[in-house]
Amino acid sequence: MLLAVLFTNTEGNILVERFQGVPTEERLHWRSFLVKLGADNLRRAKNEELFVASHKSVYIVYTMLGDVSIYVVGKDEYDELTLSEVIYVITSSVKDACGKPPTERLFLDKYGKICLCLDEIVWKGLLESTDKSRIRRLTRLKPPTDV
Amino acid sequence: MASGQESSGTTLMDLITSDPATAASAAPSLAPAAAPSTLGKPVTTDRKSRRATLTQIQNDTIAAAKALNPVRAIPQRQKKKPVSYAQLVRSIHELAATSDQKSSQKQLVQHVFPKLAVYNSVDPSVAPSLLMLHQQCEDRNVLRYVYYYLARILSDSGSQGLSPGGGIPTPNWDALADIDAVGGVTRADVIPRIVNQLTADATNADPEFHARRLAALKALTSTSASSSEILEKLYEIVFGILEKVGDAKHKRRKGLFGKQGGDKESNTRSNLQYAALSALRRLPLDPGNPAFLHRAIQGISFADPVAVRHALAIISDVATRDPYSVAMALEKHIEHGAGALHDILHLHDVLARVSLARLCHSLSRARALDERPDITSQFSSLLYQLLLDPSDRVCFEAILCVLGKFDNTERTEERAAGWIRLTREILKLPEAPSVTLKDTDNPTAKVNTVKPSSKAKRPQPLIKLVMRRLESSFRSFSRPVLHAAARVVQEMGKSRAAAYALGLYDVDEGIQLHAYSENAESLDSEFNSSSQSEGTRKTVPVSNGPGGMDTIAGLLASLLEVVRTTVACECVYVRAMVIKALIWMQNPHESLEELQSIIACELSDPAWPSALLNDILLTLHARFKATPDMAVTLLEIARIFATKVPGKIDADVLQLLWKTCLVGAGPEGKHTALEAVTIVLDLPPPHPGSMLGLTSVDRVSASDPKSALALQRLVQAAVWFLGENANYAASEYAWESATPPGTALMMLDADKMVAAASSRNPTLAGALTRLQRCAFSGSWEVRIIAAQALITIAIRSGEPYRLQIYEFLHALSLGGVQSQFSQSQISNGEDQGASGTGLGSLISPMLKVLDEMYRAQDDLIRDMRNHDNNKQEWTDEELKKLYETHEKLLNLVSLFCYVPRAKYLPLGPTSVKLIEIYRNRHNISTSTGLNDPAVATGISDLVYGISELVYESKEAVKESDAIDPELAMAWAAGLEDGLWGKNAPAMEKVNEFLAGAGTDAPDVEEEENITSRPSVTYDDLWAKSILETYEAEEDDARSSGTSSPESTGSVETSISSHFGGTSYPSLFSSRPSGYGVSQNSEIRSGNNGRRFGNTSTGGPTFEGIGSPVREEPPSYSSSVLQRFESFENPLAGRGAQSFGSQDEDTGSQNLQFGKALYDFTAGGDDELSLTAGEEVEIDYEVDGWYYVKKKRPGRDGRMAGLVPVLYVSSS
Repeated sequence: MLLAVLFTNTEGNILVERFQGVPTEERLHWRSFLVKLGADNLRRAKNEELFVASHKSVYIVYTMLGDVSIYVVGKDEYDELTLSEVIYVITSSVKDACGKPPTERLFLDKYGKICLCLDEIVWKGLLESTDKSRIRRLTRLKPPTDV
Repeated sequence: MASGQESSGTTLMDLITSDPATAASAAPSLAPAAAPSTLGKPVTTDRKSRRATLTQIQNDTIAAAKALNPVRAIPQRQKKKPVSYAQLVRSIHELAATSDQKSSQKQLVQHVFPKLAVYNSVDPSVAPSLLMLHQQCEDRNVLRYVYYYLARILSDSGSQGLSPGGGIPTPNWDALADIDAVGGVTRADVIPRIVNQLTADATNADPEFHARRLAALKALTSTSASSSEILEKLYEIVFGILEKVGDAKHKRRKGLFGKQGGDKESNTRSNLQYAALSALRRLPLDPGNPAFLHRAIQGISFADPVAVRHALAIISDVATRDPYSVAMALEKHIEHGAGALHDILHLHDVLARVSLARLCHSLSRARALDERPDITSQFSSLLYQLLLDPSDRVCFEAILCVLGKFDNTERTEERAAGWIRLTREILKLPEAPSVTLKDTDNPTAKVNTVKPSSKAKRPQPLIKLVMRRLESSFRSFSRPVLHAAARVVQEMGKSRAAAYALGLYDVDEGIQLHAYSENAESLDSEFNSSSQSEGTRKTVPVSNGPGGMDTIAGLLASLLEVVRTTVACECVYVRAMVIKALIWMQNPHESLEELQSIIACELSDPAWPSALLNDILLTLHARFKATPDMAVTLLEIARIFATKVPGKIDADVLQLLWKTCLVGAGPEGKHTALEAVTIVLDLPPPHPGSMLGLTSVDRVSASDPKSALALQRLVQAAVWFLGENANYAASEYAWESATPPGTALMMLDADKMVAAASSRNPTLAGALTRLQRCAFSGSWEVRIIAAQALITIAIRSGEPYRLQIYEFLHALSLGGVQSQFSQSQISNGEDQGASGTGLGSLISPMLKVLDEMYRAQDDLIRDMRNHDNNKQEWTDEELKKLYETHEKLLNLVSLFCYVPRAKYLPLGPTSVKLIEIYRNRHNISTSTGLNDPAVATGISDLVYGISELVYESKEAVKESDAIDPELAMAWAAGLEDGLWGKNAPAMEKVNEFLAGAGTDAPDVEEEENITSRPSVTYDDLWAKSILETYEAEEDDARSSGTSSPESTGSVETSISSHFGGTSYPSLFSSRPSGYGVSQNSEIRSGNNGRRFGNTSTGGPTFEGIGSPVREEPPSYSSSVLQRFESFENPLAGRGAQSFGSQDEDTGSQNLQFGKALYDFTAGGDDELSLTAGEEVEIDYEVDGWYYVKKKRPGRDGRMAGLVPVLYVSSS
């Protein structure tokens, strides 16, 4: 289960978040935990360098893309490595939508598009599409394979 | 909310709308998450009325904002009028009406919809407009957003802020709620309409409608699973689609991805297959439904990789429940090593291959398929082939599956079999080597890949493949890969430990591992035929093949070398995982030094978060559970935690580890185990700020007040632990001592006595020395506990120890010996005070008990001599008197510590005959003590057998013939879910950890502690802990006073109370809940439900004591002496004894009055301060507390509240 996907800016303001199967009262904890992780580790991170953390049986992989930090949280089959795949799909789609690693401004300009991409990547707590051209098609309401 | 606004300064909507390009739609509003509401000012005022109901939501958000960004000052960009949610919604309504115009569409796609996304969801009142757009608009981009928002509305669970789709409670929900109320549109109104319209889309076979059909189906699956009606509809649609397109006849695999187009028809078909399977995957599993499985299995052959992934995931889920059906259905897909399942090895999708591994594992291990070894072997071999997968994710999953790790519910046998499988099985590739490296160009498989050289095509022992793969993974630079690899090694360790634990693993890891080639067939068949008894199979000497000269031990050693170097990774989570892996790979007889120094090194790094350290501590528990032989080793490791990071670890968990390990250490290890625990006491005091010897194991680091306090508590705990367990560790019990009181020894002077004692039992002598030192030179609270520990040992031990302690306590009470010790001892950092030890009031009752015992023993010896000289028989009268003394002393002794009543002889071993005579004559069965578990098993087993019982209750019950089976059963049953589970808070954590639970959110609150730290001074901390312990003293005295000697209560209270590590002092001073434990157990121990109410024991005990103890609230002297007197004939009354039962009944019905005996200062909101002599009305009693009302309000103006039972004499 993919428990959460979170985007923040460099100051730790949350830009986008998608939770699945996380009780409302725990979301606050997750937010602060993730943002703190980022604050502690992402300061001098290279673009798309992957970071890992875990808490009990939950895994966290996070990275920096342009001015945006991206966190994914998962459990069970969504372990560190699956999450790495997920975050890779996300970063490539965001880059695709923004044309380059986004500044915060650019990210916000493409906000709607990014939300639609995310909708194609993570669906009800499971990874869905992984191919960025496929994702692009789907966000434009085209079928995955052209007919 | 306002504060959030101020503190945050800006919101997401601010940020978005600050772009000049978006000027058209005006300005800021809410952020979805962190950013608190900045809804336009008017809205804010509107909302005030709703404030109360939304407090929670607001708090959440504000806190989030604070946590995230306390002081953020984004420079104000050009300030515009805020865009509110309401404005956006209004735009939608307006633009929907003119959706045929290009400009409207552009406006929607570029401004309105993206901004609305900030809110995570929309309220139902938007739905009509969305549905209108859905029907009338042709623009794909608009429609995509429409489907997006319709799905969001469907997925909202109805209540504000609880949208499983990802919405969070933010103030924007507030806005939605307002609109909802105004517009009068509810979800119930719009959902059926949305569902109907989407259903129509999803069933529309018009080729023009193809893309919308897929999108509609997807949106439909967002419905919450609670609506059976919609689910029904969904199943119908999905199966309807699969009915038409599910047949794989037209399947056309087009290499990777089907990008290069096939014909239109097959593409349409493929898309529909994908959409249907994706939807099916989100629907609840229906294992009994053959159609479900049938469609999923068809899915394996679909062209769309994501569809195949979902199909495999579904099948692998079904396979865990119904392996037989799945295997039968898959039979033709795996035949001859070339079925559709083999094609998946080449499939581009990592998760599909992961599911394949899990599926293969389920089916190859399924008991239901024991009759079909041909099938299971096919799946095994497929699983082994996945070990060569280029993706680390897939390879690791395959390794875990081979190791028998599937979820967290595997039995030890499965894990053991897993290790044997890994070390003995051979990978034999099918003729046409199916593992190719097509996937290396896979952009998602960024992980480093291992190219199976041509060599790999030759049969290979699994272990070798796995080791090579792991070693190369450990060379990776990717942190997730390192973390995962370390986790795999940890799982290897678990399986290996399981194999050792079951004794099935008779392989000498040093023997050579040969590559295998010739008789693959025969070996294979042997494997298959005996797969069931695999665990017990002897080593198969696989010979041949010149390649391998490796041994398992050699492979492991080289792997571990690589693992150790990984500890240099700068990511603390990776390091933690590495340490866990090393702990699991550690074997009992291996050298510990390397691991120890690694851990010591690591712990000196202040970067470690405490949650991770506790996780490692819990790993030690798990390791112990797997291999009790490791007890001493693990204690050595735990000791490093105790000394290095006392402030960061959960002392409860640590103490539980001490305790379980001490039991686990067994007779030979006990001494070492005790040493390992109490070494804490020998450590030199911390030098704040000292950076010297950071890596030394034997150096305390407590450089800040918090950890200094924690260390202090840890020392207290260790002292208590020592007192409570020294006798067990030393196997020295007064009641098992064969030698009569050493009269000869008593003649010796103290020095010689000590020498004699230590030569006889070095463990106990060592413990005594430590405790004596602590009684002098520890801090005040440590001294108190040390004195208590000493009396415990004195009571439980035979001579000369008892005498030795007696002498010592005597000297201590006079404050005389201090000089003797103080020179040799470094202070624990606290001023010891010049005026003696201050323990007089504590020690004098202890001395009195020992005095009583010695006097009674002298009397007995004299009487016996008289009788012998006069050749007199003992008369019944005399025996009775003797017996009464015996019982009296027994009761007295029981107040201080736990002793087995049936065995304990306060009058010395010589009294046993006479006591026996009297018991026999009067039919006093020793089994009266049967409620007292110690009778059957002795003190050691009592206190520690419990844990064994928890672990292996059944065996224990079978083995111990001494125990009445029925009783033992009841006892064990009661204990299993009761005593430990409830008493030790740490137990819960440990069990939870062992069960692999825990997806709850991490606690980040420690941050707050850190920030608030500077305001607490050293002095505050010390003062606080002194006060707390003082309270502890009082309560302690009381708890021994109230628990009847017959009850297990005394043990349990001591366990529960003394065991609360971090909460050590406050456990006693805490609210009534703290006492629930002992009360429960008392109820349990008195099988007839009799309760030893505090009313009768507590009340009379203190009545009339008056002034002597008034200054010093309930010390031992009061409770002990009074108890002593109030026991007239406890034994005779055993059956009918009605400790408090009547009092309680009457107490609950009639008004009860009482008088405050002492001043009591309320420690909490629910407590009430009392002044000695004050009259109160007792309402009820709860867990050792009275709820009382005063006649008139006290100084604090309070009338009623809780007070400790012992502070009030009830009349």
